[in-house]
Amino acid sequence: MRRIYAIARKEFIHIVRDPRTMIAVLIMPLLQLFLFSYAVSFDVKDLPTALLDQDHTAISRQYVDALKQSNYFVVKQNLTSASEIDGIFDRNQARVVVVIGPGFGDSVAAGRAGAVQILIDGSEPNSAQLGQAYANGLSQIWGAKTTIAQAEASGFNVAQAGGLTARTRIWYNPEGRSASYLVPGLIVLLITVMTVQQTANTLVSEKEQGTYEQLVVSPIRRIELMIGKVMPWAVMAALNVITVSAIGLLVFQIPFRGSVLLFALASFLFVLCVLGLGLVVSARASSTEVANQLAMMISFLPAFMLSGFVFPLANIPPVLQGLSYLFPARYMTVVSRTVFLKGGGWDVLWPQVAALAVYAVVIITLSSLLYRERS
Amino acid sequence: MPAADAANAIEVHGLRKTFGDFVAVNSIDFNVGHGEIFGFLGPNGSGKTTTIRMLCGVIAPTDGGARVMGYDVCAESERVRENIGYMSQKFSLFQDLTVDENLKFYAGVYGLSDEKFAERREYILTMADLHGRETEMTGDLSVGWKQRLALGCATIHEPRLIFLDEPTSGVDPMARRQFWELLHDLAASGVTLFVTTHYMDEATHCNRLAFIYRGDIIAEGTPNEVKGALMRDTILQVEVDDGEGALAALEGSPGIGEAYMQGALLHVNIGERTAAEADLPGLLGPLGFDVRSVEPVEPTLEDAFVHLVTSQKGAST
Repeated sequence: MRRIYAIARKEFIHIVRDPRTMIAVLIMPLLQLFLFSYAVSFDVKDLPTALLDQDHTAISRQYVDALKQSNYFVVKQNLTSASEIDGIFDRNQARVVVVIGPGFGDSVAAGRAGAVQILIDGSEPNSAQLGQAYANGLSQIWGAKTTIAQAEASGFNVAQAGGLTARTRIWYNPEGRSASYLVPGLIVLLITVMTVQQTANTLVSEKEQGTYEQLVVSPIRRIELMIGKVMPWAVMAALNVITVSAIGLLVFQIPFRGSVLLFALASFLFVLCVLGLGLVVSARASSTEVANQLAMMISFLPAFMLSGFVFPLANIPPVLQGLSYLFPARYMTVVSRTVFLKGGGWDVLWPQVAALAVYAVVIITLSSLLYRERS
Repeated sequence: MPAADAANAIEVHGLRKTFGDFVAVNSIDFNVGHGEIFGFLGPNGSGKTTTIRMLCGVIAPTDGGARVMGYDVCAESERVRENIGYMSQKFSLFQDLTVDENLKFYAGVYGLSDEKFAERREYILTMADLHGRETEMTGDLSVGWKQRLALGCATIHEPRLIFLDEPTSGVDPMARRQFWELLHDLAASGVTLFVTTHYMDEATHCNRLAFIYRGDIIAEGTPNEVKGALMRDTILQVEVDDGEGALAALEGSPGIGEAYMQGALLHVNIGERTAAEADLPGLLGPLGFDVRSVEPVEPTLEDAFVHLVTSQKGAST
């Protein structure tokens, strides 16, 4: 115990004394949180829209007013003929084109469905998908009088989007606010990157300094060294979970609907998993450079791409889907989102928590084996 | 308790270590008595560090074994490590910790009680002349101070045996002298020192020496005994205008044992002949070299070392 304490105490001093580490640990997560939540907003608002009203009736103008009032569309230009539509997306003048065909007003007035065509620039799938859903919803609200003929541009496949059912309703995050689904995922990303990176470095830098050589000839056991070295990082990770969650709740007003206890337990298991990953890198890497690159590869990329943080896991290629099971971030992202947004409990989250527990046991065992082998 | 009743501090028998096909240490034997300063010499890559690592219980021997302070290095490696100190040329200090924090860290690693730590801290600060610098960053200390602090950390648990792996490389001559004074003080108090070094002048500080070359111990004994290997040979110190050129000319000449640069001067082993018989000016003069002086010198440890290594090379080819 005394030896573990000596190591942990020393590690804390290293952390506190190195401004670079302090920034990486305390400032970077917050910076990223604000960056992702403000700058990289996936909210779709004020889509630049071009309008071609070939009907020119009171009814068509009503429809256009409803469109304008929705906040989602801003009519940037009024077109006079269909030939102007060509190239409008290429020049980035609009992302959406709304075409009201001749006879729209008459059809509606006669009690038949009027047809509106909506063209969406699919080169940015996220806004395209949302814009499509908004347009659809808007027309629904405006009345069953309208049917929409939708067309795609730039390779966006309407048939695959699947968001066009008659009654689209978004649960848990009704306003579709980015922060609400970003922050719970971001917690996972931040913890992964910081913890793997720092633990991966801890032993390698000691080898480069030559102090490792001194420690292996001391009576200290490998396992004691390992525990002492990761303890400060476990504490740092816990602090980060708390601060990022707190900022998410207070600043970004995201809800927390589930059980704190469940979230704490899952976080604890998850931190063990990423500490283990870092230790595996540390035991294998030959220099801090190698350690950093390896750490980046197994922390940032999977936690960003293979966790469901930005890309829904169901939509990525099967090979990558399989790969995603090898990284703990995917389990924790589900837990985090479910606890924050849906309030789901043990009954739904037990598979993820169990997966994290198994993962933690396996990776910690593996890393301690690697440590022992290193002699 | 260290098994101090063991006859020797270190007993090595048939110790061998191979890495794949490479024989790093080739079944060596030697003993180190209590209180000795034992010099373990050899060129880089000759097996010095591998031997130390086996003796410290860090790596397991392929064959053979050793007892250190009475404990078996394989079966009781943890007890071995509790009873030895170790200091390497890297000094193994944490540069971003203060002097006090380094001491406290190693005290924790060796499980010292608070009272014991206070006593040892006082002793080490005095020994290393670091009073008043307790809160300075270790990285800011001069090399000499770092070296003495490293010795303090390595001996914080008062080991009766200390391994020093090239403890003075990269240290200025003044600091080296002070450091050897500390080592002599330790030896005088009965502590056994196992030292490796590159510096042949330092080897003369040792009570006993062993030369290791390509995994074999090729000479062992007191410094005088080792030099005795050259007892019947004559070493000439030659001052010549073009040392490098003369060296090339002499190598392979009949009757010349070894020739090598010693600073700006040439050292030439002429075997069991006299300077007159060898007639170096007569040999080098016609080749265009200006020989300024030739005088016989007392063989140094370095002469002995070169001789041993050269004859070993001759034997193996």
